[in-house]
Amino acid sequence: MAVTKFKKASLVLLGEVEEEVISILQSMACCEILPETAEAKTHSWAEVIKSTDEALSDVRFLLRFLEPYFMEESGKLERLLGEKPTFTMEELEGTAKNTDLASLSAKVRKVERRLLEIRTTFSKIESNEGILRKLEGFPYSLSIISSGTSRISSVVGTLPVVYLEKFKDAVQELLATDGEVFVASFGPKETDATVVLMYDKERANQVGEICEKVPFTKLDFPGELKDTPEEELSKLEQAKDKLAKEEESLRKEASMLASEWVPTLRKLLDYYSVVRTRYETLIGTARTQKTSFIRFWVPEASVGRLKKELAKFEECIELKLEDPDESDQPPTLLENPRWALPFEPLTRLYGAPKYGEIDPTVPMAPFMFLFFGMCLGDGGYGILVASAIIYLLSKYKIVGDTRNFLNLLLLGAFSTIAVGALTGSWMGDMVDAFPFLALLQPIKEKLAVLNPMSDPITFLGISLALGVIQILFGLFIAFWDSLRKKDYMAAFGDNGGWISLIVGLLLLGGVKSGFLSGFSAGLLGKMLSILGAVVLIATQGREKSGLFRKLLSGVLSLYNITSYLGDILSYSRLLALGLATSAIAMIVNTLTTLVISIPFIGWVLSIIIFVGGHLFSVVVNTLGAFIHSLRLQYVEFFSKFYSGGGKIFQPLEYKTRYVKIVGNNLLDQ
Amino acid sequence: MEILGVMLAVLGAALAAGLAGSGSAIGVGIAGEAGAGIMTEDPGKFGLVLLLQALPGTQGIYGLLTAFFAILKVGLLGGEAIEVSVWQGLGVFFACLPIAIAGYYSGIAQGKTSAACIQLIAKRPEETGKAVILPAMVETYAVLALLMSIILLNSIKL
Repeated sequence: MAVTKFKKASLVLLGEVEEEVISILQSMACCEILPETAEAKTHSWAEVIKSTDEALSDVRFLLRFLEPYFMEESGKLERLLGEKPTFTMEELEGTAKNTDLASLSAKVRKVERRLLEIRTTFSKIESNEGILRKLEGFPYSLSIISSGTSRISSVVGTLPVVYLEKFKDAVQELLATDGEVFVASFGPKETDATVVLMYDKERANQVGEICEKVPFTKLDFPGELKDTPEEELSKLEQAKDKLAKEEESLRKEASMLASEWVPTLRKLLDYYSVVRTRYETLIGTARTQKTSFIRFWVPEASVGRLKKELAKFEECIELKLEDPDESDQPPTLLENPRWALPFEPLTRLYGAPKYGEIDPTVPMAPFMFLFFGMCLGDGGYGILVASAIIYLLSKYKIVGDTRNFLNLLLLGAFSTIAVGALTGSWMGDMVDAFPFLALLQPIKEKLAVLNPMSDPITFLGISLALGVIQILFGLFIAFWDSLRKKDYMAAFGDNGGWISLIVGLLLLGGVKSGFLSGFSAGLLGKMLSILGAVVLIATQGREKSGLFRKLLSGVLSLYNITSYLGDILSYSRLLALGLATSAIAMIVNTLTTLVISIPFIGWVLSIIIFVGGHLFSVVVNTLGAFIHSLRLQYVEFFSKFYSGGGKIFQPLEYKTRYVKIVGNNLLDQ
Repeated sequence: MEILGVMLAVLGAALAAGLAGSGSAIGVGIAGEAGAGIMTEDPGKFGLVLLLQALPGTQGIYGLLTAFFAILKVGLLGGEAIEVSVWQGLGVFFACLPIAIAGYYSGIAQGKTSAACIQLIAKRPEETGKAVILPAMVETYAVLALLMSIILLNSIKL
C-alpha cells in the first residue's frame, strides 16, 4: 500500500548516440523526463520537428475529412473497447516512408474545395430560385430587369400590400405612359408583394420620387437571369441536377479514398505523434557542443532493465542514479496487489498520493466492496450486473482502466448477490410475489438471516457500526502514518486523542443503552473518554501562543465530535439505498401482478412492466450504489488520513490512439 | 373503513411523489441546460453529461418510493382492506413530509451543483471523479430524508 520508490537519474550522452538512446528510453516507457531550464533551441532537431509537424497537420486534416466517409469494419463499441492492432516501430516507419502524404493531401484538398464550391453554388441557386418564384408570370424576359434595354430600365423591390394602390397611382401620375408596373401574385396572408417598375431611362428622377412616397425596399437582382422566370427556373433545375451528380461522384471518391487510406492514416497519426514526442525530448535536453544531458525519474524496479538496455552504449554515456532528496517532488506510481487493482482507478480519480505517502487503495477496497453490495443489496440485480459484465469481458478484449472499472463492478455485483441472499431480496420480493416461484421460497428463507424491510433498525445498526469501524480504521491509519513519519505529537495528540475519545464514548453509550454490561466496560469507557478529551484539550491548541488561547482552542476542538457524529450517521445511507432498491423492485413486481388481471393484453403489459421496470431499476440503483459507496470512501474515510495531491508518473512512452506499438525484440523479452 | 384516514395517507403519498418529483424535474432540467451548452462544443461528452444530469433524478424516485410505501401501507394497492383511523392516516401523511420537502429542495440544489460540475468536466475532463462526488454531497440529505420517511412509515402500526 505504499507508493513505488523512484531514483533520480542523470544521463550524459555523446551527441551521436542521443537519438538512439532516447528511442530506447521511449520504447521502455519507464522514464519521466525532467524539463531542463530552456536555452535557445537552435539545434538541427528543430528541423525534424518542423517536418514532423507538417506531416502531422496533413494527417490530421486528412483524417478529419475522410473519417466521416469511412465505414468502420468493426462496431463502434468494439473499437472503443477492443484491442488495438499491434505494429512495431519499424513497420510504422516503413508505412510512413511509403506514403506520399503530400500528393494524397493535395488530392483530398481538391475534393474538399470542389465540394465547398458546389455547396456555395447550390445556395446561390436556391436564393435565385426564391426570387424567380416570386416573379412567376412576369410577361417579358428578365434581361429587362437585369440589364435593361437602350431606353428602358427597371427596379425590383417589395412593398407592403396596403400601399399597392398608392404606388400604382403615383406611377400613373408621375410617369403616365413612360412607366409600367408588374405586381407578382401574392397569397391572402402575405403582407408584402413583389413589384417590378419598368420606366423610361430619362425619367429616373421621378422613379426615385415615387419610391420615396411608399415604403419600397429595393432588391438586388442577380445579373445572370435573362430569360423569362419559367425558362430560368428550368435552367437552374438542370444546373442543380448536374451539381448533385458531381457532388455524388465526389463523395464516392471520398469514400473510396477513405476506405483505402483511413487505416494507414491512423497508423501514421500515431507514428508521427510518437516521433514528435521523441524529438521534443531531444531538443529539450541541456547540451554542450558534443554531449547532451538529461535527468529523469525511473522506478527502482526498472533500474536493472534500464542498465541492461543501455549497456551497449557504455562507451558513449554516463548514467548516475541517486535517491530523491527533500526538495524533489518525484512522481507517483501506484503499485497494488492484483486483487486491489480494480479499485486503483478510484484512488486516481480522487487524486494520486504524494510521493512517500500512503496509497489508500488497499485499505479502501474491502469497504468499497462491501458498501457497494449493501447499497445495491439485491441478489437478482447482482446476477444481472454480473452477467452483463462477464458477457462484455468475454466478448471484447478490454484493457486498461476500462477493464479495471468493469472488474470493480463485477466484484461489487458478487458482493451484491451475497448481501441479497442474506437479506432475502431477489428482484425485490419476486419469489413471494409470483405464485409459480413458490418452489424457491424455502431456499430463499434458508439463506436469509435478516429482512431490512420488516426490521430496518437492525440493519441501520449494522450500517452505523460499519461506519464506526471504517472511521476508526481511518484514524488508526493516520496514527500509524504519523508514527512512521516520527510526528509523535500528531500521532498521540490528534489521532490518538480522537480514537480514545470515540472508543470511550461508544463504550459508555453501549453500557447506557444496555448492549454492554458490566462495571468494567463502563469504567473503561469513562476513563478512555476522559483521557481522550484531556489529550485533545492539551494538544489541539499547540500552535497558539499563550496558555489561555491554547486552552481555549483545545476545548473548542472538542466541538469537532459533531463532525464525527455526522460522519457516522452518513453511513445510514447503506440502509436507505439498500431499502430503496428492494422497494423499487417490489413496486415493479406489484405493478406486474396488478396488470396481469387486465383481459387479453394483461400478460403482455405485465411482461413489459416487469422487464422494463427491473432494467430501469437496476441501472438507476447501480449508479446510486456506486456513487454513494464511493462518496463514503472519499468524504468519510479519506478525510481521516489521506490528502492526495500527488502527480501521476508520466513516462516518455508510445502514446497512441489507434494502434499499439510493440518492440521488435518481442520474442526475447 | 375510515375514508378520511385513507385520504390523509393519499395526500401524503401525493405530496411525496409530487414535490420530490418536481424537485428532480427542476434539477434535471437545470443540469440538462448546462449539458446541452457543453455539447455544442464537444458532443463526445454526451455520456458524462448524461451521468451528471441523471444525478438529481433520484429524489423523484425516492418520492415515488415513499408514495408507494404509503399507499401500500393503507391497503390501496390490492390486498385486504385495512382499517385506517384519522390519526393513523395523519401519521402516514406526516411520515411522507421529510422526503417531500427535502426531495424538492435538494433536487433543485443538486441540479445546480450538477450544472456547475458539467462546466467543470467541460474544462477539465480528467476531474470527472470529483465532479460526480460534489452533487452526491447534496443528495445525502435526500437520502437521510428518505430514510426518515421509511422508518416513520414503518413504525406506524396499522
